[in-house]
Amino acid sequence: MKKRIYYWVHEEYRDKPIISKVILETKVMINILVAKMRPQESFLILELSGSKEQIEKALNLLKKYGEYEDIPKTIEKNKERCIDCGACIVHCPVNAISREEDFTIVFNDKECIGCKNCVKICPLKAIEVCEI
Amino acid sequence: MKTIREINEKIKKGDAVVVTAEEMIEIVEEMGPKGAAKEVDVVTTGTFGAMCSSGVFLNFGHSDPPIKMMRTYLNGVEAYSGLAAVDAYLGAAQPNSDDDIDINYGGAHVIEDLVAGKEVRLVAEGYTTDCYPRKRVSTTITLEDLNQAIMVNPRNSYQTYPAATNSREEKIYTYMGTLLPEYSNINYSGAGQLNPLQNDYNRERKTYNTIGIGTKIFLGGGIGYIIGEGTQHNPEKAFGTLMVKGDLKTMSTKFLRAGTMPNYGCTLYVGVGVPIPVLNEEVAKACAVRDEDIQVPILDFGVPRRDRPVVARTNYKELRKGEVTIEIYDNELKRWVEKTVKTASISSYKKSREVAEELKRWILNGDFTLSEPVAPLGRGSCKPMKAEAKLVRDILSKPPIVARPNISIEEAARILTEKNINHLPIVDEEGRLLGIVTSWDIAKAVAQNIKSICEIMTRKVISSTLDEPIDVVARKMSRYDISGVPVVDSGGRVVGMVTAEDLSKLLGYRKF
Repeated sequence: MKKRIYYWVHEEYRDKPIISKVILETKVMINILVAKMRPQESFLILELSGSKEQIEKALNLLKKYGEYEDIPKTIEKNKERCIDCGACIVHCPVNAISREEDFTIVFNDKECIGCKNCVKICPLKAIEVCEI
Repeated sequence: MKTIREINEKIKKGDAVVVTAEEMIEIVEEMGPKGAAKEVDVVTTGTFGAMCSSGVFLNFGHSDPPIKMMRTYLNGVEAYSGLAAVDAYLGAAQPNSDDDIDINYGGAHVIEDLVAGKEVRLVAEGYTTDCYPRKRVSTTITLEDLNQAIMVNPRNSYQTYPAATNSREEKIYTYMGTLLPEYSNINYSGAGQLNPLQNDYNRERKTYNTIGIGTKIFLGGGIGYIIGEGTQHNPEKAFGTLMVKGDLKTMSTKFLRAGTMPNYGCTLYVGVGVPIPVLNEEVAKACAVRDEDIQVPILDFGVPRRDRPVVARTNYKELRKGEVTIEIYDNELKRWVEKTVKTASISSYKKSREVAEELKRWILNGDFTLSEPVAPLGRGSCKPMKAEAKLVRDILSKPPIVARPNISIEEAARILTEKNINHLPIVDEEGRLLGIVTSWDIAKAVAQNIKSICEIMTRKVISSTLDEPIDVVARKMSRYDISGVPVVDSGGRVVGMVTAEDLSKLLGYRKF
C-alpha cells in the first residue's frame, strides 16, 4: 500500500538523517515529494510504500522524531469556472491532473499533494485546494 | 454551385445539412471535396481562447443633473471615456485602479460580471460646463440599466498562434502563461482544425473564401457580426484576424469568461464561431483542414525581444498529444540534444467544440441564417513599430575596470574609491568574468576580518551583453535587487559595467 503524509521534524532532530533511519529500520520505501529544510523549519511531504505493518512501523518511528498528518482531500475543480484548457497539467509535480479523450480536465485527488502549483497558474481561478 | 440564398432557404425549411469542421474532415476524406460540397450546406467552426483585444462600448444614459464623464470607473476598473458625455469603452485587459487588486479583477472581469447580471459600481468624474453641470456620479448599475453594451473586439480569433517555451534558467510569466525554466514546457493556443479563419483560408490565393465584412457569427453565446479584418491581420502568412461586434446583452458567461494570466495581466476568453457556407468544391476543400496540416512555430519567450527565435516547428496534432520532442543546444555538453517537452493548451479545445456544436444547433433549428458579406476582408498589415531600441552598447563608454582574484581586500578598496565605483568585476587572466565584488562586500570583509577576495566575491553573477536592450537590464536589476551588472562579450570577457546610476542618468536626461 501507499500512504502520503505531511511531516515536520522536531527541532532537535533537524540535523539528523531521520528518513534514512526509517528506511533502514523498516525497509519501507520513501519517496520525498516536497522538502523544505531551513534553520527555522523542516517540512516534508512523504510517500511511503510497503506492507501495512511496515508503514505502521515507519509512522511510529517518524512520530518519535517529529509530527505527521495525513494528507486530506485537497484539490477540487470548480466546474462552473473551469474551461478545460489544460494549462494546469504540466505544473502538477505528481501527475494528478490529466486530460480525457473528450478534452475534459480531471483531477485525481488521491494523488494530489496540495502543493498549489495549479492553483497559482490557473487563469480562471477554477481550482480550489483545501487549506492545510 | 450553391448560393447563400439557396442555403438560407434550406435552413428555413429545415433541410440544410450542417456539420462541424471536425465532422467535415471525414466527409471530405470519404466523398472528396466535390461530393462533400454537394452533400454539405454549412460547416460550423469555433474557437475559445484568451483574446485581450476585446472590449465593450457602454452608454449609461444621462444623469440628472447631467454629467460629462471624463474619468469612468466600473468596480474600480477605468473605462476610456474621451467620447461623448456618457459613452465609454471598457477594455478587457485594463487592470484595476486599486493596486492591491490590479490584474486579479480587471476589464474582462467587469464584462463577465455584467453578463452574469451582477451589479457593478459606477463612479465617474467630469469637468463641468453650462450644459453638464455635474462633477461626480456614483451609483450601481446592471447590464439591463445600460442603453447599449456593444462588444467591439479589434482583434479576435487568430488563425494560428505560435507556441511558447523558455530557454532561461528562471520561470517566466508571459501572455502565453507560465513558462518553466530550461524548456520544461510548451504552451500553445488555438483551435486548429476548428478555427474559423483556418477553415475558410484559400491556401493558393491567400485570401478567405466566404468570410467578409458583414458575416453573421456566433459571438460569446450571442449573435455577432464580422466588421472587418482584425488588427495585425496578415493573410499572406496565414495569420489572419477578425474584428467583430455583438450585443453584450445577448451573450452568456458560458462563452465569455474573464481570466488572469499570472503576473502578466487580465484577459477575456471569447467564444467565436463562424458558419461557412459550402458554396463550391474549393470551400469544401478548405474546410477539410486538419490539425496536422497547420504548422505552429515554437518560439523562445526567454528572449525578451520582438523577434523571438524559433526553437522548432510543429503542428496542432503533435501539440495536442501532450508532448513534443525538440532539439536544443546544451551549453554544458556543447552539442545539440533531444528533449521531450510537455505541452499545455491555454485555450480550450473542448469549449471550441461546444461553440461549433451550439452554432450548428442554431442553424439546424432554423434560428440562424447566413448573411451575405458586403465586402471581402482587407489585406491587413503586420509590420513592426518604428521605435529604436537603446542597447547596452549605446550607453557603455568607459573602459572596464576589473581586477584579478589574487588582489588583497585593501587593493580592491583602493580601486573602488579611486575610480569612484561600487562594483568590481573579478576576471581570470583572459579577462573572463569569475565573480563580482561590491563596496558592501568590502565593508563586510573588513567587519569580519576576511582577507581573500575569493571568499567575499559573488560567483553567480547576473550579467548583460552589448546587444541587450537597457529596458531588459533595468528589469534584471529590479528583479534580482542589484545595482549593477557586468557586460560580457560572446567569449565571457568583461567589456564594461552598467549600473543603476547609468540608467537613472538616462531617465533624468535634460536637454536644457
